[in-house]
Amino acid sequence: MSELTTLQKWLTSIIVRPGMLDDKIRLADEHYQLKNDKVIRPSLRLSSKQKIEIYSKGYILRLLECMEAEYPALNKLLGQNLFHTFVKAYLVQLPPNSPDLYNLGEAFPAFLKGSQPQTNNLDIDRPMYDLPVDLAMFERCIAEVSRIEGLENKVEEVGDNQMPYLFNTTAIYTSPCLKLLNLQFPLVDFVQHVYNELEPETPVKQDSFVCICRKNYRVNFHELETWQWHFLNSLQNKPNYMAAVMDTASVCSIATDTIMADLILWVPVAISLGYVYLK
Amino acid sequence: MDTIDTNRLGLPNLGLGVGLRSKHYSHLMQNDPVVDWFEIISENYMNNFGYGRHVLSHIASIRPVVMHGVSMSVGSTDPLNVDYLKQLKQLADFVNPVWISDHLCWTGVANINTHDLLPLPLTVESMHHVASRVNQIQDILQRPLILENPSTYLEFESSTLHEWEFLSELVNKTGCGLLLDVNNVFVSGFNHGFDPEFYIRNIPHKSVVQIHVAGPTDCDTYLLDTHDQPVPTQVWRLYQLAQELTGGVSTLLEWDANIPEYPELVAEVQKAKEVLKGHLPNVPVSRTSAVDVISNPVDHQMQATYE
Ligand SMILES: [Fe+2]
Repeated sequence: MSELTTLQKWLTSIIVRPGMLDDKIRLADEHYQLKNDKVIRPSLRLSSKQKIEIYSKGYILRLLECMEAEYPALNKLLGQNLFHTFVKAYLVQLPPNSPDLYNLGEAFPAFLKGSQPQTNNLDIDRPMYDLPVDLAMFERCIAEVSRIEGLENKVEEVGDNQMPYLFNTTAIYTSPCLKLLNLQFPLVDFVQHVYNELEPETPVKQDSFVCICRKNYRVNFHELETWQWHFLNSLQNKPNYMAAVMDTASVCSIATDTIMADLILWVPVAISLGYVYLK
Repeated sequence: MDTIDTNRLGLPNLGLGVGLRSKHYSHLMQNDPVVDWFEIISENYMNNFGYGRHVLSHIASIRPVVMHGVSMSVGSTDPLNVDYLKQLKQLADFVNPVWISDHLCWTGVANINTHDLLPLPLTVESMHHVASRVNQIQDILQRPLILENPSTYLEFESSTLHEWEFLSELVNKTGCGLLLDVNNVFVSGFNHGFDPEFYIRNIPHKSVVQIHVAGPTDCDTYLLDTHDQPVPTQVWRLYQLAQELTGGVSTLLEWDANIPEYPELVAEVQKAKEVLKGHLPNVPVSRTSAVDVISNPVDHQMQATYE
């Protein structure tokens, strides 16, 4: 290994490792057979270790701020101390490896899920563990929807009084920036309160069908009726509109005619919110 | 005798600019940008097809834009991240930047990105390593790379070159340009006990393409590059010297945390005009005793738009 490589591995290992500064430096010194005070020039004001600490402290504070920016509602729910504890553990398990900060929080929902204690569904504490996971999934979705390719430069606005879909349902597609979540808690109000800097009420467990989408560069999220959610979900995965209708009817145990009649009223809404568009 | 064309690698003096930040997106979509040009954090737009890119394309249609990166990791001993460079090139095809810059630093090794700008030992080994990578990067980007001096908080015992010597030699070896951050010179000068003026007098002035000014924080035993304050008098003085020695180059104000409203930001960068007339604003370096101040704040890159 070149001297430069060794120095870089030595310093990186100190910066990303958890624990007390002295221990981190000692472990790195041992592993790379270096002596910190022979590697880093001390000054009158600061020792070698204090200089390293500026970087190791900055690393974690900087990334905590980024995670707070991506997960403000989760930060609110858990309180900053607990939120920071989870983020620090996450960064130890999965140190950032992408040039893009947008990827920093990508695996956080899965990490939270993996860090839950193994309890059964009847455990009264269960919601305490499930709620943060759902909220993390929700906020990660918002971050993704705000950045992925959307319809902004692809679709022309259709006037409100036009209903061409009535005649050509084969032309209806879901937006590429539509994301659907089936959650165990209704979170729309909670997240909206936090974003508007209002005090949110902690949600009570209840099946929730959410859709997160972007139109004209604005991200919107709404609670959907079960059949609406299933329809969009089917339309994302099925070859065409009719197949999605049939699928929804069967999953929701609703007559196909009823679904089709309801869609005539709802599709214009779905178009106006950017969930679906006409090709 | 040198002609003006041989300066700045032939790149233009764009005047006074600010960083494009999400906090100002809606203001900028509705108002005149006032400043002469903008700098973007490249990584913030590389895989971003949302509102940020929309604002960027508007700004790029009315003002010159420069791409400033933080993740090229030109000094890392990991292999060059070719995917990253390709994405950077794609963004450049979209933005048509006047130039592309990054830092003389490394951001991590063994595939870790600390999202910090870490210092290199300034050795002959580092010089060969960095020069060869700069050459490869310039071949991929098909343009000169402009490299910025970072703020540093430690020095390696193994260093045999001063940073100004290292940069001069790097310019010789690669033909790269320099982004002289006079605030970083001030910060590193205080932290390592060198004279910032001597540093600025001893870099190759003809290769300086751009200047950064910013406000650091005095943490008592060291200065930190916080980009969250007005520019202090000492930094303006170094700016004045740098402009004198370079003959005038593009100036950019960096403000990345506690970001003010847009008009205040513009007023701050416009102080540069007064400085060039010899009127230095009387601004002390901000002091703090807080333990959680952050250098290179990056969370401004994370803001989403939602309703
Ligand atoms: Fe800078």
